[in-house]
Amino acid sequence: MPEKRDIEIKSRADTIGLMDLDVRPYPVTPPPSYEEVKPIYERRKALEFCDWAEDSLRFEKRYTKDEALTGYRILDIGLWRLGHKFCASLYGEAGAEVVSIEPPKGDPLRKLTPFGREEYLLQNKESGEKCGMEFVNETVNTHCVTLDVETEEGQEIFKRMAMNVDVLIDGMPPGYMDNLGIGYRQLKEANPRMVYVWIGMLGQWGPWKDKQSKFGQWMIEPFASAANSWIHNTGLAQDLLPRGKGGDPTRAGIWLADYVAGAQSFLNSIAALYWRDELGGTGQMIEVTGAEALMDILDFDITWYGFNSSIKARTGGWDACLNQYAWNPCKDGYMMIGGQTDKLWYNIGFCLERDVPQFGRLIHEDPLLKEMAARNALHALIKTYTLTTRWLRDTNRVEAETKLLEYQVAAGPVLYIDEVCEFPHFKYRPWVYVHETDYGPLLIASSPASYQVRAPFRCKWMGRDIGYDNYEIYLKWTGMGQTAVNAMKQKGVI
Amino acid sequence: MAQDPRVTRMEDLPGPKSKGEMDEFKMPYEEYCKKLFDVGNEHTKPKPLNGIRWLSCTMYIFTPHAVANLAELGAEVIKLEIPRMGEPMRHTSPFNEVYLYPFHDMRPMTGTGLGYTNANPNKYFVTMDYHIPEMREVFYSLVKKSDGLTELYRPGTLDKWKMSYRYLSEINPRFIYVWGGGFGYGPKVFGGSYDILGQAHAGLASITGMHEYMGGHCSKCTNWVIDWQSGNLISCSIMAAIHHRRKTGLGTMIEFSQVQVPTRMLGHTTTMYGKFGIVRQRWGNWDTQLAAHGIILCGKSDFPDAENPQDKFDARYVMVSAFQDQDFKELCAITGLKELYEKYKAHKDRVEGEAQVEIYTGLERWAADKSRSQVAKILSDAGLLAEPVRNDREVYESPHYRERGTVRWMDDPLFGDLVVHGGYSTGLMEKSPRRINWHWRPLGADNKKIYRDLLGVPLTKIEEWYKKAYI
Repeated sequence: MPEKRDIEIKSRADTIGLMDLDVRPYPVTPPPSYEEVKPIYERRKALEFCDWAEDSLRFEKRYTKDEALTGYRILDIGLWRLGHKFCASLYGEAGAEVVSIEPPKGDPLRKLTPFGREEYLLQNKESGEKCGMEFVNETVNTHCVTLDVETEEGQEIFKRMAMNVDVLIDGMPPGYMDNLGIGYRQLKEANPRMVYVWIGMLGQWGPWKDKQSKFGQWMIEPFASAANSWIHNTGLAQDLLPRGKGGDPTRAGIWLADYVAGAQSFLNSIAALYWRDELGGTGQMIEVTGAEALMDILDFDITWYGFNSSIKARTGGWDACLNQYAWNPCKDGYMMIGGQTDKLWYNIGFCLERDVPQFGRLIHEDPLLKEMAARNALHALIKTYTLTTRWLRDTNRVEAETKLLEYQVAAGPVLYIDEVCEFPHFKYRPWVYVHETDYGPLLIASSPASYQVRAPFRCKWMGRDIGYDNYEIYLKWTGMGQTAVNAMKQKGVI
Repeated sequence: MAQDPRVTRMEDLPGPKSKGEMDEFKMPYEEYCKKLFDVGNEHTKPKPLNGIRWLSCTMYIFTPHAVANLAELGAEVIKLEIPRMGEPMRHTSPFNEVYLYPFHDMRPMTGTGLGYTNANPNKYFVTMDYHIPEMREVFYSLVKKSDGLTELYRPGTLDKWKMSYRYLSEINPRFIYVWGGGFGYGPKVFGGSYDILGQAHAGLASITGMHEYMGGHCSKCTNWVIDWQSGNLISCSIMAAIHHRRKTGLGTMIEFSQVQVPTRMLGHTTTMYGKFGIVRQRWGNWDTQLAAHGIILCGKSDFPDAENPQDKFDARYVMVSAFQDQDFKELCAITGLKELYEKYKAHKDRVEGEAQVEIYTGLERWAADKSRSQVAKILSDAGLLAEPVRNDREVYESPHYRERGTVRWMDDPLFGDLVVHGGYSTGLMEKSPRRINWHWRPLGADNKKIYRDLLGVPLTKIEEWYKKAYI
């Protein structure tokens, strides 16, 4: 532990550096040890299996194992958004060689920082170059290369790079690459085995296709979530909170559609690679949009509209389809309780009944509550949650969770990021951990696909300086030596 | 190339080779894309995962969706359900209102709830009670014929029944085994999980919703986003494992925990906490890194006379985006907020919290006497970006999705006309597109097809199993 010292905080600037990982090590409390976890495994007589699972799947062993996609070459070009970056990062995490092209000035996303606060930009320890945290987190294992594809020389270099790629990820506006003569239509002849994926917000064709403002500003999330009723459906209803004060349609706190489109782009393109290698022999064009990828996972909402013209309304922390399945306010925050099947639903009841005897009476009096499907009627939801919230009002998150877990009910509090990072299970796996990057040690989330017997996904590096890999990649991919690269740099092409 | 290098042949020269190709090059780009994807003819094209067979012991949305992705991509998916009852999602429907009949030939008066939608297209529906040793043998013979399995039981459960990766990889070394659940090994190994738990536990809920000072609460993404997106990421992992198997010939086990997925998608949230000790909070319909880039409330509804309250009261929100300097200047000029432009010329100034409050308050004041479409039109006509926040009806009626085939009516073999908004919408593919064959089928509908046509079990035996409720 570092020495104690007196500090004086006069402005926000004085707080910078007070909380970094070398001052306040992570985690604050140590993760649970195996000895503490062992009795949990034994409780269900699963010790032997769980030991095997730990031994075979452990996160810490990821680097000692093979990578799934070694040998595939991925080229990624795009700005501003996370969709193409998330897709490229998935390829990177799975072991492919990924190159991301930025214009010589860099992706504007590098400059974004919460509330414009430049003191929260990360600084490269060696070069001193600064970069926003969002960019660093969403470029995993990608090589950073600069190229101005709007110049003729840049286009020639791009064409040569595209000759040998397996997947080209295009995150530019609709028709941008085609106009420059380096789109799918022009490249497919030179490289017929290339899978070309365009990722955008609404589409590169069609009546609502992606727009730019007259000054060239792009559409960025949440335009995609707004276009498919995701936002309309999310949030608290007007009869729970006044409109304009929380009772409104609500966007997700993250650029959600980008992540979903990124995952579907990876999935569709890797399936296209499988088809190319095993069956069809050729590449193809794929188009994924945030609005539609998110619409794919819009539950049944549009099908429901087609069924009886229902337009889904907001239900806050509740769910129209499952009882119980909600979070409600409790004494010190929000508590999520879930249990739909009879066994779990009654277990919740048994637990609540210890403090609120009305629960048993409620079930006794309303036969609709006794049947799994019938419990989803609106009045049944209101009755159930009224009593549950009555219980939660006097119960804090820890008490509620402890009591409910005794009944094997899936229950948990809404956690803020500091609580997430200190959550024992998160630390044990670990799902957040300190990773050494060019920007010093950073606390990051691990890839959910890191837990595999043979070829787990992994983060090796994240974020890079602008054009960090120029020399290496241009040499390997196009045969340009450093003199040629320097000449292009002089001209502003690279 | 021609044998003799002195000979010049048309096909060796760069550029279009035929009139058709020439036309293709001259075509406007949008038209070209439309022609390329050839929406509506998906079934005449090859299936990308043709020949892959996948077993599915799954329930709810998360793990079924992980397999549905494969089924849409053309894999043959066999879903095993509990005899008679089926999986819980069949009993799930919004407000208990919407069912498709029949559920099963034993329960003709019951239906399958709409909650089952989109997580189960194209699958073959088989019932099997694998607690019974006799049926376990049948299960093994399916394993020998399949590429992989996705399951969601609490860790160790299938191991007890000798159906875990340890056993199945002995039978079929190429077998790819996926466990999808909440937590995986560790202190909460037996913890149950749902989408909502993922949203709550992993930080997404804490940054979604209106800020406390705006009077808001943490808000749940109504749709089961973490179930679905975790399913997507499992499918991604499966495809990577299939590629790895092409090299090594070996299967694998993937342990996938959904509670971890939201944390991976929180962008800078975790890093900001680690490095600066800052706990990110909710920021409502605005953006923490861009301004102006947010959803504003307009004074008037677009459909004041509509019957449906969702149209009548809620068609009032517009997404407005003008964060670049020129755009913001124009926005301020149009909305009469010139003093705000003068005050916040630099992006780093206008994205500060206090500035955002001032900007959006000003915009909403300007929009107070306008309807949603008026606001969108005024700004769009000025060349700025503004789009209404659409509801389900507008998505259904959208010419955009209809033309792209991502919302379409299908003629389901059993249920007839249905609107589909999944599957096709995951992405358009030129040569080997996804497709939906059927929405779903009743419980056990494919017992005969799988047990007899695939495994060669005699019909009398199948009937016997059926009577004993083994299947």
